[in-house]
Amino acid sequence: MEKKTILYTEDIEMRFGGLYALKNVNIKIYENEILGMIGPNGSGKTTFFNVITGFYKPTGGNFYFLGERLTGKEPYDIMIRGLSRTYQTSRVCFDLTVLDNILIGTHFVQKSRYFDALFNRKKLYKEIEYYKEKAVHLLKIFNPDLVNKLFVRVGSLPFIDRRRVEISRAMISEPKLILLDEPSAGMNADETKELMDDIGKVRSEMKNATIFIIEHDMKVIGTVTERVYALNFGQVIAEGTYKEVSNNIDVKEAYFGKELDNENRFAA
Amino acid sequence: MMKKNRFFDKFIVALVELIVYFYIMIFFRVESVWILIITVILLGVIFYLSKKFKKTFELINDSFTKNSKFATFLIVILMIAFPFVSKLIVPLYIYWLLITIQTFIFAIVALGLNFQAGTTGVMNLSSAAFYGVGAYTAGYLALHYKLPAILTIPLGGIAASIFGLLLFIPIFRARGQYFALITLAFGYMFVLSLNNLNFVGGPQGLKNIPPINLFGYNFQKAPFGTHFYVNYYYLVLIILLIALLIFQRLYNSWIGLTLNYIRDDEPAAKGCGVSTNKWKLMTLLIGNFFMGIGGAIYAHMIGFISPPNFTLTISLLIISIVLLGGSDNIIGVLVGAFILVLIPEKLRVITEYRVMLYGLLIVLILIFRPKGLIPFKERIYDKVIAKEN
Repeated sequence: MEKKTILYTEDIEMRFGGLYALKNVNIKIYENEILGMIGPNGSGKTTFFNVITGFYKPTGGNFYFLGERLTGKEPYDIMIRGLSRTYQTSRVCFDLTVLDNILIGTHFVQKSRYFDALFNRKKLYKEIEYYKEKAVHLLKIFNPDLVNKLFVRVGSLPFIDRRRVEISRAMISEPKLILLDEPSAGMNADETKELMDDIGKVRSEMKNATIFIIEHDMKVIGTVTERVYALNFGQVIAEGTYKEVSNNIDVKEAYFGKELDNENRFAA
Repeated sequence: MMKKNRFFDKFIVALVELIVYFYIMIFFRVESVWILIITVILLGVIFYLSKKFKKTFELINDSFTKNSKFATFLIVILMIAFPFVSKLIVPLYIYWLLITIQTFIFAIVALGLNFQAGTTGVMNLSSAAFYGVGAYTAGYLALHYKLPAILTIPLGGIAASIFGLLLFIPIFRARGQYFALITLAFGYMFVLSLNNLNFVGGPQGLKNIPPINLFGYNFQKAPFGTHFYVNYYYLVLIILLIALLIFQRLYNSWIGLTLNYIRDDEPAAKGCGVSTNKWKLMTLLIGNFFMGIGGAIYAHMIGFISPPNFTLTISLLIISIVLLGGSDNIIGVLVGAFILVLIPEKLRVITEYRVMLYGLLIVLILIFRPKGLIPFKERIYDKVIAKEN
């Protein structure tokens, strides 16, 4: 069956002065798949996310989403085309309520602006009610408890719930591509297991979406993803299923170093 | 049983509001500085009691939340009656009326600044300059082009918005504290320019600005045998109430949410598709508009404006009202305006210690209520939406 590519990159290069954070990166994301990206610290994974979401403008190369060239565009220009992301450090606004933090995810799909806020409150409340129902529906999937905490400050919730709020924020606009940046960062084993369940729930909730995950936790990658890219020093060194990639010698070297053979161990 | 409760709630609300209202009158009436000392002690006692008798205070707070429409209605009635009630209680009521008008004008300016600094995190330290743009525009147009107040006041607001664009578009890329410093410099530049531009009177400013004449009603006429200040009082009151309504509605909507997100985590906002620069520009336009309106009314009322009216000190006063009263909270801004304008007036009695005590007040507030006297509240779009939960 012909797999449709929804995002692909052409020789992406990201230079910071003399340092190549990304070099010759060619990645394809197919529709509906769950794609993973692994690599040691500093290999350029988050940089890659930042490039395809517009937070960094690549110094070379291009990337295309649904056939459209998006290189050099600002984040808001890119996200409105159907992407959403979460952040390694789980960026939610602690002082705002759970509902507020999720509603902001609908920013580019909701209709009312200044005029309605001032003069047409009925239309405004109807819209808020509609998206509030959506938010409740999403929260129920992850943690039904949260439904009672819609108007509680997010800062008072435990870390895993804040993550869930962030994921709900990324899902509420029904994006075509969701980018999850190290969603298990800062979690213990139990929480990571809950997270893997959560990702499964995201998948069953949004059947037409594509999910792209950066992860350090190999268990998550192994369980959840269908295909994996491995990055090292800003370049793609392997691609395939998790089993293939984890057995790839370049990947092993990237994580563990070159294997010494007995002759060289006691080099003079 | 239900009916009795609702009446009781409203009674509590009315009682609290009336006590505060008449206390303010007594505050105006008593000449000696002792009233100030007593007030501070009383505030301290209330603060202490609120910690000890948490339940009672929460009960009072709930009464206000449940009956917010009634509470607002009552306050508006009290404010409308203010000139006449104060005439009965306070011998120097004309002087205090003027101070109250000034407080309201600063509250309007502070609401504009609050929309920028409190809600969106755009730290504008030159609010006095835009207040001045509004004042000078209105004054100049009224003086030299004989434009009526119904035009000069909105034009003052629009001029402040345009000046805001001129200042801020070039410096949008600047980060937090550098942005604030540049606005500070702009404030200085503004006053310096005024001192050196002859067509706006230079250091002597504009004088004999015609008073407001609205649809034939001359504001110099004293209504009901009081004083012509009363006319300005009602004008400013109406504009203040409109401003409060506008900002309350903006806060309780997608607008408030988006701006708060820009303030608290700009990259995350961008990641949700917010074009942050455009939104910040809108807050600049809107906030500055209200600053200009405040200045325009001031110009007409006092009839004389000059560069020393719009210095950094005034900018600092406005930002203090926002930060100390409670940023991003319109009631907080109102309370802040009252405290930071009225108390220095009372302190005139002891001029030597005035600035020191004023500083002490600010330090006390920063120690005990660092988020402002009435801090940011969670956004609840409509009680109906919250109830259905």
